[in-house]
Amino acid sequence: MNASTLLTAMLPEHLLLLGILLLIVLEIGARKPREFLWVTLVTVFAAAFAAARLYVSDYAAAPFPGQFSVDPAALLGKATLLGLTLPAVLIAGGEFRGPRFSILLLSSVYGACLMLSSDSFLTLFLGIELMSLPVYALVLLAMGRPESAEGALKYLILGGAGTASLLLGISFTFGSTGSFGLAAFGAALAGGDTMARAAVVLVLLAFYLKAAVVPFHAWAPDAYESASVPVTAYMATVIKSAVLLAAVRMFAGTEVPASMVVLLAGLPLLSMVWGNLTAMRQESFRRMIAYSSIAHAGYLFFAFLGPAQGRYEAVIFYVIAYGLMNLLAFVCLPTGEDATRDRLDNLKGLFGRNPYAAVLIAAAMLSLAGIPPFPGFVAKFLIFRNVIDAGYTGWAVAGLIGSYLGIYFYLRVIQYMFMSAGEEAAAATPSRAWAFAASLCCLLPVILLTIFPGWLLDRL
Amino acid sequence: MSEAAMLNWVLFLPVAGMAALLLVPRLRADLVRGLSLAVMVLQFLLTVVLYLEFDADLGGLQFETRLPWIADWGVYYHVGLDGLNILLVLLTAFLGPLVVAGAFSAIQKDVKLFYSMVFFIQFAMLGTFVAQDLFLFYVFWETMLIPMFLIIGIWGGERRIYATLKFVLYTAFGSILMLAAVIYLVWSLKSQTGITSFAFADLYGTRLPLDAQVLLFGAFALSFAIKVPVVPLHTWLPDAHVEAPTAGSVILAGVLLKMGTYGFIKLGFPLFPEATAVYTPVIMVLAVISIIYGACLALVQDDIKKIIAYSSISHLGYVMLGLASLDLLGIQGAIIQMVSHGLTAGGLFLMVGMIYERCHSRDLAAYGGLAKLLPVYSVFFMVLTLAAVGLPTTSGFTGEFLVLMGAFNAAWPQYEAGVTWPLVLACLAVLGVVLGALYMLRLAQHFLFGESKAPHQPLADLNLREKAILALIVVAVFWLGLFPDSFMRKTELGALEYQQQVMSRPAGSWVSVEPAGGSAP
Repeated sequence: MNASTLLTAMLPEHLLLLGILLLIVLEIGARKPREFLWVTLVTVFAAAFAAARLYVSDYAAAPFPGQFSVDPAALLGKATLLGLTLPAVLIAGGEFRGPRFSILLLSSVYGACLMLSSDSFLTLFLGIELMSLPVYALVLLAMGRPESAEGALKYLILGGAGTASLLLGISFTFGSTGSFGLAAFGAALAGGDTMARAAVVLVLLAFYLKAAVVPFHAWAPDAYESASVPVTAYMATVIKSAVLLAAVRMFAGTEVPASMVVLLAGLPLLSMVWGNLTAMRQESFRRMIAYSSIAHAGYLFFAFLGPAQGRYEAVIFYVIAYGLMNLLAFVCLPTGEDATRDRLDNLKGLFGRNPYAAVLIAAAMLSLAGIPPFPGFVAKFLIFRNVIDAGYTGWAVAGLIGSYLGIYFYLRVIQYMFMSAGEEAAAATPSRAWAFAASLCCLLPVILLTIFPGWLLDRL
Repeated sequence: MSEAAMLNWVLFLPVAGMAALLLVPRLRADLVRGLSLAVMVLQFLLTVVLYLEFDADLGGLQFETRLPWIADWGVYYHVGLDGLNILLVLLTAFLGPLVVAGAFSAIQKDVKLFYSMVFFIQFAMLGTFVAQDLFLFYVFWETMLIPMFLIIGIWGGERRIYATLKFVLYTAFGSILMLAAVIYLVWSLKSQTGITSFAFADLYGTRLPLDAQVLLFGAFALSFAIKVPVVPLHTWLPDAHVEAPTAGSVILAGVLLKMGTYGFIKLGFPLFPEATAVYTPVIMVLAVISIIYGACLALVQDDIKKIIAYSSISHLGYVMLGLASLDLLGIQGAIIQMVSHGLTAGGLFLMVGMIYERCHSRDLAAYGGLAKLLPVYSVFFMVLTLAAVGLPTTSGFTGEFLVLMGAFNAAWPQYEAGVTWPLVLACLAVLGVVLGALYMLRLAQHFLFGESKAPHQPLADLNLREKAILALIVVAVFWLGLFPDSFMRKTELGALEYQQQVMSRPAGSWVSVEPAGGSAP
């Protein structure tokens, strides 16, 4: 290990750390609130750019062999996560002007990046905790509202349970294979003895909990609803994507043995069905997205049924498409009082008031529903193609029918925006420059992915 | 402009139209309307050129473009014209300007969005017809739902939200299973030959075991049958038709329903020839049930739009019957019948829309004796009614006659061999013609003749714009009725290829030797 490898390989992380330190220093100097946001933005952008640049040059190195290594797959994952963080920071422009939001957010992103490069369970655990802990606090930041404390507490307790399950799983893995390396998970998955089986189940449960798969999803709707919009957007996209990408890294090249298929497909399938059915009844946009994200976690875990080499491609494309579309919907939400701003009723007649936002939200909903020509369709296609490739046609059909259940509630949002008369009281709110910039941030890649999905897929 | 590029021009002109509309200020409704009409007319003229240039003596695809889209998966942007889709493309392009012009006065709310959606659906429909790659086809096929959802849901009648959700959820269910079948089909091609390809030409070569074929055909057929719609999957249609604005009904009846039958010819039957042989009796029975059941329902409706909606079910039953007969005349008749139904049903829906704008009622009982009140209107209505009934010299006659001839041609040898049911079905289908005359004439009788009454008097007769729209349709109806020869010639080779595709069952070679597309493994 030499200094230049250490510097280059961890450049995105270093930049994030630099940003955090700068923010702490700035806070001592008690500067104008807007500066914090600029520093955050520049930091995230620089880190994303660094990751993307390294990815383009096919960089691979192991600054801490056995613990932390980077390869193009990890770099693309980091670039994606950091890129998805940008719009969330941009929409926070109007709400969080203090440094706390920025520091917590950057720490959480740091943890996410760490996860994607981890080679051992220790780094993975460090990353997962560093990512989650700041988010418990971020949920609380919407402090004006009493229910945010409830949501944060629920999230904290269930997150703690997930941590415990992960730790236990790690120790079982160690007991069964004698290694803390991430590759030990693959060995445990392939191995048949009871301890290895228990290790796999416990580790998977932790991932299910963090990704909100039924029946470990109960925290998601409350946490999503009680957090303020930028934080919800961050949780629904970046956190979920990081967990899934880390899972891909953990599964590595291991094929799922037939005995594990029911666990790996059963709960995700349940997740799709339950998430989609429950989302139909929600009256709040954030709750609806929470249930929709539960269903999407189900689709994403389906990707693990497929052949090992197609998994990364499927998951990364899915999280890019899903993350962009989710963020697009969030950044276009009409402004207003945070607690009530996402009532679905508020969306009624949005097309009349703000056609730009309405059209973009509609596109986002259709993409999340997996209706072509939006990138969500290609993403879904890729996942189910892999499942059928692996020979699980029955599961794929069940999954597709599960996804069909979701179409209605996405359409309902469009119905509210385009087909219902709005209340005049909710008259035109001026669109903010921050939100507009954030929407462009999502819109341009979405257009690219809609017209040329091959451009990205050929590179994966 | 090179020949192949022209089809792309036609296909992407609506997209250009949408982009142009974005630049027009929202409140300049007249400019929006004018621009939309201009783009649609241009598209139609280009399509006419395409149609004239289309060489009837060449088999296979013409005006073909094939570019890698998702090269990694073997997905190509592959479009082309052949004998099966040329007339449908022409029909779509013909109805486009009429739909736009027909909505000039009816649509006053969100005009810009409306015409954008009309362009959008025009693009998706044309794309579905010309796509030669299964992935591309599926994308267009599903995309179609979006504009239709909005057209019915925003500008529709009172129960529009119920109707539009029903329409989308019904059709999306079929498509979801089709998606699974598409993936499975491509996967089997890959495991048999190592080629990953979505090209129709390659997929025709896959030879699957019968039980797999039966399942896959079932999935495709469900999706197509919902779209046609074949009884008993038709219940979304009356709601969608009744609640849709006039333009929506015209697009639905004129083109969208043909997607289903086109899907059967282009994909369902040729992809799974053995399964087709298994399913043919079922399809023929369902087709005849659709003919008769649709006609019976049309006979007892009080809502004018519902009468025409149910008549659509009946007429598309003929198309299904012709396709399933696998007789050359029957197939060509089915294609002619598709076009003819697009013209007559589209025209009738436009006329219902015109009277609705004047009287705001669709209740048959509210009208009577319009022949005296609105003479010009009544003449057009009568002509289209007779065309729908299938009076000789109109397009309806050509289509129905050929389909029935095809059905009898196919049934007779079987009858001689001792199998009677095909002949019984063919005879029952003839009964549909009689019923058709009954319900259409009942409509015309109550509507045009008898005691003069209308909800709002005095009424203004058709204006120049409306006359022009209807005159064009009537000309087309007679043209297709009097000179079907030139149209049939263009379809002949396509129909022949389709027939061979379905009838031939090569046992020796499992796949076609030369792949038409796709990436190497």
